[in-house]
Amino acid sequence: MVKFKLVTKTYGEVCALKDVSFEVKDGEFIFLMGPSGAGKTTILKLILKEIFPDTGEIHVGGVDVSKVSEKDLPGFRQKVGCVFQDFKLLNERTTYENIEIALAVLDVPESKWKERIEKILKMVGLFDRKNLFPSQLSGGEIQMASLARALVVNPDLILADEPTGNLDWDKADEIMELLEGVNKEGKTVIVATHNKEIVNKMKKRIIKLASGKIIKE
Amino acid sequence: MNYQLKSAITSIKRFPFQALAAIFLLTVTFLVVTILSVVSYSSSKVIKYFETRPQVIAFLKDSATVETISALQHKLQNDMRIKEVKYVSKEEALSIYRDATVDNPLLGELVNPSIFPASLEFSLNDLSHAQGVIEELKTEAIVDSVGFTASLGGEKSLGDVVNRLREITLYLKLGGGFFALLLVGTSFLVLVVTLGMRIASRRGEVEILNLIGAQKSFIKKPIIIESIIYVLVGVTLGWLITLIAILYVAPSAINYFGEIPILPRDPLMFFSLFGIILLGEAVTGILLATLGSNLALSRAGRKK
Repeated sequence: MVKFKLVTKTYGEVCALKDVSFEVKDGEFIFLMGPSGAGKTTILKLILKEIFPDTGEIHVGGVDVSKVSEKDLPGFRQKVGCVFQDFKLLNERTTYENIEIALAVLDVPESKWKERIEKILKMVGLFDRKNLFPSQLSGGEIQMASLARALVVNPDLILADEPTGNLDWDKADEIMELLEGVNKEGKTVIVATHNKEIVNKMKKRIIKLASGKIIKE
Repeated sequence: MNYQLKSAITSIKRFPFQALAAIFLLTVTFLVVTILSVVSYSSSKVIKYFETRPQVIAFLKDSATVETISALQHKLQNDMRIKEVKYVSKEEALSIYRDATVDNPLLGELVNPSIFPASLEFSLNDLSHAQGVIEELKTEAIVDSVGFTASLGGEKSLGDVVNRLREITLYLKLGGGFFALLLVGTSFLVLVVTLGMRIASRRGEVEILNLIGAQKSFIKKPIIIESIIYVLVGVTLGWLITLIAILYVAPSAINYFGEIPILPRDPLMFFSLFGIILLGEAVTGILLATLGSNLALSRAGRKK
């Protein structure tokens, strides 16, 4: 599903990734682990073609990301569900509307929106919060809303950047259970985290990063 | 409700004062455009009225018979350039003369009908045809001479009258057009600036939409819809205010101008005129909005 081959990425003089190579197979669940600045988020941004590598090759779903044109980029991104570190929810829209946007972007017929949104809201436990704005939600609920937006489009690949950051154990566990459930349905999940407890509990494949290099796999 | 429409409405609600400023200026613009459209219509009617006022009089020879006069009258009536052909007999000419000299009855009594020639009088549909018609008339066997009654601002010759009328029309069109263009240009700039501010305030939203795979057209549409909403509200308000104002002043204006048809007197024609103006403004407005929003979007794209 995802293949990195000798990928290097620098930000000015700072080397974020140095000759990183790894492969994630279809339906796999992996953790990208490492301290802040290790390069976890950079990997996720490269997968989403939010940034470009300096050297190396990145393949996602058999597609060479460098060859995805500007015109085809939206279609490429539509196949990836993302839970962003900073959530990226629209503050002036309700939880329901934030999830609705993902379906609107995909051009899903409006007649199917309600059913799909309500199903996902129930799944993440936000059904009774659907009319609240992000500012009215707790940290865990915002994270859940972000996850719901990523899942509602039924993507083949899910990227989650620190989905349990600053959450208490129960909430973090809840999110991981949801991601595991999605993975069991055959979706590929890549989670970037520094939460060792969660990683140890999940017993999934781990890629450890430090200073832009894979130090253990 | 469609996502893009909802997004546009949310944006308007979020920044009501920017929206109000844009709508206010567009209302003023289209108010002036509507007034200018009506003034343009009325002035063209006034000019047309004056253009067709001058009468051509073909003085007939005494030898003209009823048949030849009737034949010429028929020929003139069938001419598309000519309207309201009227035969004036010698007796009628005398009567007109006596009416004109009613203050001095002696002048009327000194003449007899035989000195007044019979004539065919008519108006023209367009003043520019006058020279041609007169030249043609002079070649008619029963026509003795041709007179042309035109007087506007003291000019007596046909050329002067035509030039004078053309000048008035030109100044009206140029002055009005320049003023309207100035306002349309200003409105366009305000629209672009307002939308630019909107786009800047929505940068976060645009970034999120990009990341979740929104097509460019999906991101652009709410901005275009928003500008179309401004323009359509501006067009409707400007048009409505003018309509109400004109309905209010129309009776006095029509009364003042008398037989000069500055506005259609038939209500159906009146509202048709305003309907056409509204339609024209809406189309122009939508073009303006589409152009403005695309310009604002391309400027925002360059700044990224």
